[in-house]
Amino acid sequence: MKQLIGSLISAALLLILSTNFALAEQTGRIFVSNEKDDTISVIDGDSLKVEKTIEIGERPRGVGISPDGKELYVAVSEENKIRVVDTNTLEILRDFEAGSDPETFAVHPNGNVYVSNEDNAKASVFDPKTGAQIVEISVGLEPEGVAISPDGKRVIVTSESTNMLHVIRVPEHTIENNILVGSRPRAATFTKASNIAYATAEISGEVVKVNMDTAEILKKGSTGDSKSKPKDVLLSLDEKVIYVAGGRANAVKVMDADTLKIIKKIPVGKRVWGLAMTKDGSRLFTTDGVSGTVSVIDTGKNEVIKTIKVGSFPWGVVIND
Amino acid sequence: MLHKHKLLKSLCLMFITSLLLSANVKALEVRLLYVGPEDNSALKGVEQGIQEANLQGQFLNQKYLLENIDETTASQHQFGAYSAIFLNTKKELITKLATKLSDKAVFNLNSADDSLRYACIANLLHTIPSNKMKNDAVQQWKKKAPDSSAVAQAWHPDFLKFAARDLNKRYKKNFNVPMDDLAWSGWAAAKMTSDTVARLKSADPSKLLTFFKTELAFDGQKGINMNFRQTGQLRQPMLLIEDGKIVAEAPVRGVANPPTLDSLGIINCEK
Repeated sequence: MKQLIGSLISAALLLILSTNFALAEQTGRIFVSNEKDDTISVIDGDSLKVEKTIEIGERPRGVGISPDGKELYVAVSEENKIRVVDTNTLEILRDFEAGSDPETFAVHPNGNVYVSNEDNAKASVFDPKTGAQIVEISVGLEPEGVAISPDGKRVIVTSESTNMLHVIRVPEHTIENNILVGSRPRAATFTKASNIAYATAEISGEVVKVNMDTAEILKKGSTGDSKSKPKDVLLSLDEKVIYVAGGRANAVKVMDADTLKIIKKIPVGKRVWGLAMTKDGSRLFTTDGVSGTVSVIDTGKNEVIKTIKVGSFPWGVVIND
Repeated sequence: MLHKHKLLKSLCLMFITSLLLSANVKALEVRLLYVGPEDNSALKGVEQGIQEANLQGQFLNQKYLLENIDETTASQHQFGAYSAIFLNTKKELITKLATKLSDKAVFNLNSADDSLRYACIANLLHTIPSNKMKNDAVQQWKKKAPDSSAVAQAWHPDFLKFAARDLNKRYKKNFNVPMDDLAWSGWAAAKMTSDTVARLKSADPSKLLTFFKTELAFDGQKGINMNFRQTGQLRQPMLLIEDGKIVAEAPVRGVANPPTLDSLGIINCEK
């Protein structure tokens, strides 16, 4: 009996500790990179108001957060660096060299950062704690989108001018497949099971659904009119629909994840590129580059519930939740 | 003794290398020909496109080889081996060679002459804009800015939008000169050729030609997918330049009629 009580108490303590631990980590903030005015807008997750603007460096584009939620990473392309910000204090902590012209990146579950180096046809891997480069991988021209499978075994790098998805195996860092898709592939995302990926092709105005085990294109879907130049793509929590940032169509396209047919168009600001979703799947944030705004979408209704003015040409968005 | 050892080692290496090479599947070779002056930005543009093609080719086991000849030797040249031809020469020779090589794509990289478009030679493809396209672009812009003295161009080194920045950067890095219209036109012809070879997995000239005429959706880094008119002219946006600066893009929004790329230039063939 004593033993049972003892283990119950320790289990309760552990629960409290871990809950506290998790709460202490995540600020709920939304971070937005503003490409043209070299800043990061920090949006409070509850009030949905900009609480701070951080001077970050030249041409900030890709943004990401460390697996423990403590650090924000920002690719400052013109400086060839990734700058690290404390998500809690909002102080700039350090930076590290991230190869030539780092555009966007993704954070691996193991903490490493996979970067596309736009102007030299390379993808590179860094340990953001030390800034050490782990490996450099040759890919096609103008590499842009980087997506990491939830199981951590594959990384997709899209090359915009070579029209390919380069599939890189982790930890080997060898290219497993080069999948030719439509013109100017820009972004990709994986299903939770890691076996399917979706990618957008900007100039051909398409989304492709790819079987990652066979490298086979399962389906192609048009994102609509000629102005619709898709960029970011994300899956809903139940994986029944995908959200596609429609570029100059000034709308987010909600598409059936199976048929790739458009279900709904959600009007947002001008030239929408970046997308981020809360972990609970309830809200979607967009960066509307030309409007200089972030739109907040309620995914239950698929409607914009708020528009937030941020800096000049917002590019990437990430949530610390 | 040491020398013998070295020799043996290098012989072994050579043997292993040859084994490895023969085990590899032979790359698809794509031979292309440029006819025109050597010291010219159109050739530099083609070379830029070929370099990019070979970068893609390493992932697809495709290899691009470019030869160039002077226009004076063009009449005796054997053209059979080439998948496509890039011409930077006089109107008369363009017409002559295109007519002679009717089974393959012949690109006009340099001539803005409208009569070459009216002629509608089925395999002659113009990546450079025509005079009428330029005039139409200027006229559209003048409806918005009547006092403007802008000129229309296919390209400009200050063009940044739609990843034009990236192409300008690559070209400048390679040749140490800014990219101009001829260079863009040469690059576009080479790039659409390699894009098509990649998709068809074939270097067959007539298959390429058919694809160019019927299925092309080319990303010329001008923000819109491009294809050819019946006249052989590549539909494309134009830039309006005043005092060396980009002031507008054509089709000019709110003015162009129709509000599409077909508001620029010759649409139909001469009967």
